Amino acid sequence: MFYREAGQFKTTYKSDQALFPIAQDRYFVIGVVLFAFLVIPFFITDYWANALLLPFLIYALAAIGLNILTGYCGQLSLGTGGFLAVGAYASYKLMTSFPEMNLIVVFLLSGLITALVGIFFGVPSLRIKGFYLAVATLASQFFIVWLFNKVPWFFNYSATGQISVPPREIFGFLVTGPDASPAITYLFTLTLVSIFALLAKNMARGNVGRSWMAIRDMDIAAEIIGIRPLKTKLIAFAVSSFYIGIAGALLFAVWLGSAEPTEAFGIDQSFLILFMIIIGGLGSILGSFMGAAFMVLMPIFLKNFMVDGLGLQPAFSEHVQIMLMGVLIIFFLIVEPHGLARLWQIAKEKLRIWPFPY
Amino acid sequence: MSPEPVQTRIFEEEILSVSDVSLSFGGVKAIQNVSFDIKRGEIRAIIGPNGAGKTSMLNVINGFYHPQEGLIRFKGKARRRMRPSIAAAQGIARTFQNVALFKGMSTLDNIMTGRLPRLEKGIFGEIVNVFLQAAYLGPARRSELEQRKYVEEIIDFLEIQHIRRTPVGRLPYGLQKRVELGRALAMEPELLLLDEPMAGMNLEEKEDMSRFIIDVNDQYGTTIALIEHDISVVMDLSDRIIVLDYGRKIADGTPGEVQSNQAVMDAYLGVPHE
Amino acid sequence: MMFFLEVTISGLMAGVMYSLVALGFVLIFKASGVFNFAQGVMALFAGLTLVGLMEKFGLPPWAGIMATIAVMILLAWLIEFLILRRLVNQEHIILFMATIGLAYVLEGLGDVMWGSDVKLLDIGLPQGAVDWLLDDYNLYVEKLEVAAAVTAVIMVIVLAIFFQKTRIGRALRAVADDHQAALSVGISLRTIWVIVWSVSGIVALVAGIMWGSKSGVQFSLSLIALKALPVLMLGGFTSIPGAIIGGLIIGMGEKWAEIYMGPIIGGAIENWFAYMLALVFLLFRPQGLFGEKIIERI
Repeated sequence: MFYREAGQFKTTYKSDQALFPIAQDRYFVIGVVLFAFLVIPFFITDYWANALLLPFLIYALAAIGLNILTGYCGQLSLGTGGFLAVGAYASYKLMTSFPEMNLIVVFLLSGLITALVGIFFGVPSLRIKGFYLAVATLASQFFIVWLFNKVPWFFNYSATGQISVPPREIFGFLVTGPDASPAITYLFTLTLVSIFALLAKNMARGNVGRSWMAIRDMDIAAEIIGIRPLKTKLIAFAVSSFYIGIAGALLFAVWLGSAEPTEAFGIDQSFLILFMIIIGGLGSILGSFMGAAFMVLMPIFLKNFMVDGLGLQPAFSEHVQIMLMGVLIIFFLIVEPHGLARLWQIAKEKLRIWPFPY
Repeated sequence: MSPEPVQTRIFEEEILSVSDVSLSFGGVKAIQNVSFDIKRGEIRAIIGPNGAGKTSMLNVINGFYHPQEGLIRFKGKARRRMRPSIAAAQGIARTFQNVALFKGMSTLDNIMTGRLPRLEKGIFGEIVNVFLQAAYLGPARRSELEQRKYVEEIIDFLEIQHIRRTPVGRLPYGLQKRVELGRALAMEPELLLLDEPMAGMNLEEKEDMSRFIIDVNDQYGTTIALIEHDISVVMDLSDRIIVLDYGRKIADGTPGEVQSNQAVMDAYLGVPHE
Repeated sequence: MMFFLEVTISGLMAGVMYSLVALGFVLIFKASGVFNFAQGVMALFAGLTLVGLMEKFGLPPWAGIMATIAVMILLAWLIEFLILRRLVNQEHIILFMATIGLAYVLEGLGDVMWGSDVKLLDIGLPQGAVDWLLDDYNLYVEKLEVAAAVTAVIMVIVLAIFFQKTRIGRALRAVADDHQAALSVGISLRTIWVIVWSVSGIVALVAGIMWGSKSGVQFSLSLIALKALPVLMLGGFTSIPGAIIGGLIIGMGEKWAEIYMGPIIGGAIENWFAYMLALVFLLFRPQGLFGEKIIERI
């Protein structure tokens, strides 16, 4: 009824190429963004920020990063945890070595450093494909975590081997450290994530994105029509790692505050983010957000349900929780292998022709 | 079908020459000492029974297979091995026997990929380009709109406006072949290689496709080399024909000459090989 | 020299374990194209079930093993019925993720049923060093490891006979070659999948017994799956001899690196060394040890 594109005629290619060609979509997105920026900060509490909103936003950014590589360019990677670690440790070293450096610069540089590491580990992708490449990316995962555990320079020789974020301000507001207010950390993260999500969308729908998808769909044909595989894949690795690096820096500096490589950046993180993009939808920016929301919310629901609802012992419920998570993941893959983004799209198509079935 | 083509189309300038090319996979000899040339502006057909080495020949021309012997000269430049992406950048485009479209993308996006090699830049330009694209600023936006305009012309030419936004995986076979032709045209090729452009089509679709091929040759002046099994189509369309059999060239000439060639008759009608 | 030999032998023995897990991977990948990430957890699950059955019901080892085999076959059937047949024709990555989900389920289930503490598994396998080697050559080799190696060799021979000589084996090879063609001559994919997953389950049980007898049945057992992955890269995802040889190479290389390189660059390198080894190898030979050179067609 309200979701109609009738009467919205495009007279230029420019308007047809716009980000959200349908007016209702545009209003909806603007509404959500305004709500996130103008309403939520006034009601946010420590719990909401640290248990829900920050992990959601940060994982969404990491999921966009992985989606660029795996969903758009078709290169399956299991090394996400390692790249998160690179971003986190880069930001830590930058913040402690150059205390005066602007926080925004710190985050951008952390992303760039991770991008360089990503390019390095992306080089084998020219010769190694499919699951062989996925296993090869595990090499980067294990190697990076080992490196940050073994070389004391990376954690400034601290006795625990942990890294802890120093308090830093931006425009006079404290963003990192234990005393930062939830509204500020939330707004800072939200700003970065929104900007980078927009940039990712632009890349995905332009030439860069088309060359990625061509490599994904049929790499031989892509090469024959003149797309250079190595260059295209390396750009995907670089951009993807850049995003994951910034997510890693946010994860450590803004959300957790302190980190230790094996726990915070282990292979479980790689799988978690891979689940996000698959449940959200491969090759979809919106899906990255949906998948992140799902994977952040599900454990909380399961835990609340079992400990508070059924009164199970916490230790016992942990095992049940792992099991149920597995069941839910399998269930989702069977019901909608193309992810939540596809469900959303189907819902929109139904809405467009409502009240008629076809 | 179109009337008997005027026999007197004469072409002077050589655009491609293949000399003494041999290609083998392990012990299998796919192509043996084949030489021929293609003149600028003509429609050249390669025919022959299944397994004669026709597709391998196209793969050699656009650098996908590397022949063990022989030379390929394109626009005066000689080479034996090269990367397909470089052949594409030099102006060779092709379509495939089994449609090789990008299944996850729409018709429009598929044809737009054909524009990509036109926008090749050095490594530094490429990095700048990624940033511009991300911000969708200035040059990036302008170039996107220019390409869209060019691609829309091809879409009009091939009469596929109605499937612009459809993911190509959902299209029927005949239309997929047409989109594939569109993608090749978007590369603005000087030499267009068509691998069985009419395989699996009904009569009407074949007529459409023949018309497109003639129009491309006519309007854009594109040189075309095509592989096709439908002999009547080949005889109608092409200026000159090469006949391959078991990896060797057994005839080369105008449709009339080839038709009356004894070796060709034997290959097609199945005289036992020695 | 003796020390070098000892290191090599212990590396080879560890390699046998990797081979066993890799073998389970290869069987499933060959027959169904599924990259089964749950293979390691299956070994853990099988080990836990065996210990649980022996402890709770006081079964003797042979009965416990029989019962566990039955459980693994039932599990294979359930996996086919609940997961595989519902994901036919999905992309590989979806099936891969489903097996990660399966890994979570089995991990949780094993813990819920049998508890998560470390359990000792004693089915009467010999312990200690092989005496005559120790006495005559001063060479320390564990009896258990020899038993593991012998079992692995027997398993490979049995599997080879199964694949070459039996009707089911031929059907399996047909499916591995070409699913569509196999279907068209009347081979039931579903039956094949159940069989393959059962066989992999039994291979996992053997791996679980060997590893469990050595260091107890515990969560870390499931991590040997991560050790088997570089073996797969090296040997190829579809090659049974590749899994065996690859396992031995990785086991040996890892031990050498640990002993001779580890002290220099800081130790604990066994987590990634095998991956780097496989990666470097693949860069020079992308088709793996036993793969044929791939001719790309278009």
